[in-house]
Amino acid sequence: MSRAGKAAAGPRLDANRSAFGLTLVRNTLLWMIPVALVWLALTPIYDRFLEVAGQNLLHLLLESPNVTRLVPKDTHFALIVRNDFPPSKDVVSSFRVTDLHFPVILLAALFLGTPGPTWRKRLADLGTALVITAFFHIALVVFWVQFTYATQLGAWSAEHYGAVARNVWGLGKHVLDLPIKLAFPLILWAAFYLDRLLPAPSTKGSHQPPARATKGS
Amino acid sequence: MSKHPKRPDKPSATPSDPAGATGGSPRRRQVIFLVLFILILAGGFTVLSLNWVNDHVIEPFTAGVAWASGGTLNLIGQGVVRQGTVIRNARFAVNIENGCNGVETLLIFLAAVLAFPASWRWRLVGLAVGAVAIQLVNLVRVVALFLTGAYLPGLFDTSHTVIWQTLVILSGVVLWIVWANRAPVTASATPPEASAEAPGDEE
Repeated sequence: MSRAGKAAAGPRLDANRSAFGLTLVRNTLLWMIPVALVWLALTPIYDRFLEVAGQNLLHLLLESPNVTRLVPKDTHFALIVRNDFPPSKDVVSSFRVTDLHFPVILLAALFLGTPGPTWRKRLADLGTALVITAFFHIALVVFWVQFTYATQLGAWSAEHYGAVARNVWGLGKHVLDLPIKLAFPLILWAAFYLDRLLPAPSTKGSHQPPARATKGS
Repeated sequence: MSKHPKRPDKPSATPSDPAGATGGSPRRRQVIFLVLFILILAGGFTVLSLNWVNDHVIEPFTAGVAWASGGTLNLIGQGVVRQGTVIRNARFAVNIENGCNGVETLLIFLAAVLAFPASWRWRLVGLAVGAVAIQLVNLVRVVALFLTGAYLPGLFDTSHTVIWQTLVILSGVVLWIVWANRAPVTASATPPEASAEAPGDEE
């Protein structure tokens, strides 16, 4: 690239990208409340689904015989119950299932608020993202239960889980439950739509990339 | 109808973009962003979970958050006292723990900024402004949660784990979108064909 070409390709901001980002922020903020209301209404059903799916995955992958039951408690909690413990001590812990999936609100708001794609594509993308998210949530339930078994039951944990297993379940639950869970909406949004936010690569001379459509919002 | 761009040449690395992420097809740059983002995020949290880092960095930082929150609560007449990461008055007490100090959102923002193809100068500007903004939002969260616990205790749990976590993460994501949206284009040697529209988007 010549010196003149480099100068022409210096810092610039294309109008389409700028409009995309600002519209995305506005739409996302506007979608937060309606999406939160839908999430709130569906939470009891989804909590139960996660409890059943997580329990079944535990049985399938990690238990023989099957000893873990996840029992709903109040609106948002699940009790971790072990059938092989004495009846007075069979409830080993509990966790707030709702806490596992509240980032879905941000996920849906981001997908619904993305300007450009048709509604059909937007909803199809959101559906795909929600299915991926559901698998992540089920895995998170398994990590929660295994983290409890491996690190929270004192002598029983030490007897049944080695140092490596305790670290794997502990670190895995920590990483999945905080950073990955919270960043999951952004990860999925970026997987579908980041290209719209990326600066168009500057090229030789004054070449401008084709403008992206921004129909609808 | 979607357009499929020709596979571009390997993008050139520049001092401001060592991964060469500013060049290449949109799909390639998207993948590079995602891989870097997840690696930085997971690596960062692994480092933060080390006992030494927790004791020497996170705990003092969290105590600083408690100090700022306590000061703000006293400014609005709450008469709180602080002990380490605990803030209390006659009505209520909170212990600011990991997850409530804004560090997670800060790290998500940092990972997204570092993974995004931009100049180092623009990244540093984003990190400086974003860190301050996220901590301000977190300060509002801690103060609001304390007041919720003191005056509307029935709403505290939901407010703590759902509403404010969502708002703080939302603030980090919105800040990142605004920052990325304003990122100036940096020079790279990508051929014109490679900058065509992303495949499989518009219908």
